Amino acid sequence: MAVEIAGIKKAYQGKTVLKEVSFSAQAGSCVGIVGSNGSGKSTLLSILAGVRKADGGSFLHEGVDLLRRPGMIPKALGYVPQGDPLMEELTAWDNLRMCCDKETLKRSLSQGALRMLGIEHFLKTPVRRMSGGMKKRLSIGCAVVSSPGILLLDEPSAALDPVCKEDIRRYLEIYKREGGILLMVTHDAQDLDLCDDCYILKGGVLHAYSYDGDFHKLADVLRAEE
Amino acid sequence: MGKVSAYFMAQLKRAWKLLPAQLAADLLICVCAGVLVYLLVAQAAIDAGGARYRIGMVGDLSDSYLGFGIAALQEMDDSRFMIELVGMSEEEAEDALARGDLYAVMRVPDDLMESVVSGANDSLITYTPAEGQKGLGTMVMGEITEIASTLVTSSQSAIFAMQQVLFDQGRDSEAARATDRLNLSLINLVLSRSGFSEVEILGYADGLSMELYYFCSAFLLFLLFSGLLNCGFFARRSAALSQFLKAKGVGAFWQILGEYLAYLCLVLMGFFCLSLPAAYLLEREWIGIPEWEGMGAYPFWGFLRILFPVILMFAALQFFLFEAAEGIVNGILLQFLCGAGMGYLAGYFYPAAFFPKRMQAVGGRLPAGVAARYVEEGLFGKVSASVLAAVFAYLAVFFALTVFVRRRRMGREPL
Repeated sequence: MAVEIAGIKKAYQGKTVLKEVSFSAQAGSCVGIVGSNGSGKSTLLSILAGVRKADGGSFLHEGVDLLRRPGMIPKALGYVPQGDPLMEELTAWDNLRMCCDKETLKRSLSQGALRMLGIEHFLKTPVRRMSGGMKKRLSIGCAVVSSPGILLLDEPSAALDPVCKEDIRRYLEIYKREGGILLMVTHDAQDLDLCDDCYILKGGVLHAYSYDGDFHKLADVLRAEE
Repeated sequence: MGKVSAYFMAQLKRAWKLLPAQLAADLLICVCAGVLVYLLVAQAAIDAGGARYRIGMVGDLSDSYLGFGIAALQEMDDSRFMIELVGMSEEEAEDALARGDLYAVMRVPDDLMESVVSGANDSLITYTPAEGQKGLGTMVMGEITEIASTLVTSSQSAIFAMQQVLFDQGRDSEAARATDRLNLSLINLVLSRSGFSEVEILGYADGLSMELYYFCSAFLLFLLFSGLLNCGFFARRSAALSQFLKAKGVGAFWQILGEYLAYLCLVLMGFFCLSLPAAYLLEREWIGIPEWEGMGAYPFWGFLRILFPVILMFAALQFFLFEAAEGIVNGILLQFLCGAGMGYLAGYFYPAAFFPKRMQAVGGRLPAGVAARYVEEGLFGKVSASVLAAVFAYLAVFFALTVFVRRRRMGREPL
């Protein structure tokens, strides 16, 4: 299982945001995309998630172009947007129930992704009483509860404390190890450590970047681009 | 479809959790609206004739012509619903006027009838309004007194002239009969004066009683403003959730449908809970509606059934306004402005018939005006297809616009 993204284009009100964005990812790998604010990283992710329409390009997964057959996207991938896609008044259980049937949910809680994320500890807690870390874990839980092969993450560790970051990172490593494909947009150096391939989105085009753990160097590169 | 129903159930659960707070707000609004309606109805009852103008008659009322005239006014004339004439002495009249028991005093000179019969016309009825009254009522009464004086003195002068002619011609035997006939003609003329002109009375919504009109208006206004009471449903909504749902295969249309149905349930639950006290008050006849007199709360349940399409339409309108506004505060302001503006133009505060024709035309075409028309027709049991179609057309338009805004918003969020 692999994904191949080719020639994704997107323009807003005459301004080109993405020009021929192409990359690929193998099963059990993680692709990280970095770039300055407003460079179009999240736009790219939302296009791949089927939230927005691309002006051109393809997103091949198991021989199927998901951009042409958006009905297959929900089964193929899980998407965690930048904010928390949760209903504040409801509990974790209620929010998860929205994403899958009761049996799947129970299975995942007992031996699947939700157990690994530690969600069973706050299953009955209303979202409005949760910490940022709990919310993020629940958001990821909602995306992966139906066991998609691809996971799109938009800044998964933004505004989280180190313990939460570590918990989430540990889960993502497991997800990868089990053959999942991670496509991640991030500003966090620790997230990049998880990535097998790193790209910088600049002027609407992806540039491969070999991240060696030196975040200052990466920052210099990004600054130079601006 | 499973995800749509799951989303609907989740939204329904949200609505259920918001219900207690919403009911508390509903109750507060209802108490305020109830007081407002009571005051409006009470004021309108006074205006409509619940209180008659009491006028003191002072002077020599013993003359048979005058006595007959007063009796005719009190027993047969339309003015008996508005004016009460009370005979009294000068002192009593002054005291009553000072106490505010009288609206005015009419003084009939002792030699009035002699003066009239003799054709001298030099004795005048004087009209003294209570101190400080300089309003329309005083002006109208002044005019009425003047008209009555002119009518009586002129006609009596005519009788006198006729008698003189008959006497001069030696036809004395015919004088008494001719005088009676002329007097009867005069009385007939005075009593049937309402036939001289056609008075257009501004009715309450083409035939509804004032009580039912304001009862309907209060309910419609409550429904129109229910977006404000239920604003909790629209608070803390995250754009991320919309995007997440879209990625899960639940597009803008299905999202809005799920949310709208849950919101509708919230509105209906709140509305039903508050209808129970209203039904109780009607059953006990503490709310008096002439059309429903003696029927208890039975017609009220029919009224609620009539309201259902209006609830659907108003819920869609509220949904659209909250979706279109950026943020909950803007949404609340928009709801308030739209609700107050449309409610006013559609005649929820005052009967629309009081407004200029052009305003009535505009108000009648607004969603609130269409709703009022529909309810009014529903109460008469003859809802026209065009009005019903307008209600559902507005519902469809608001729903479509909400979907459009959601789609745009999902594509526009800063990414």
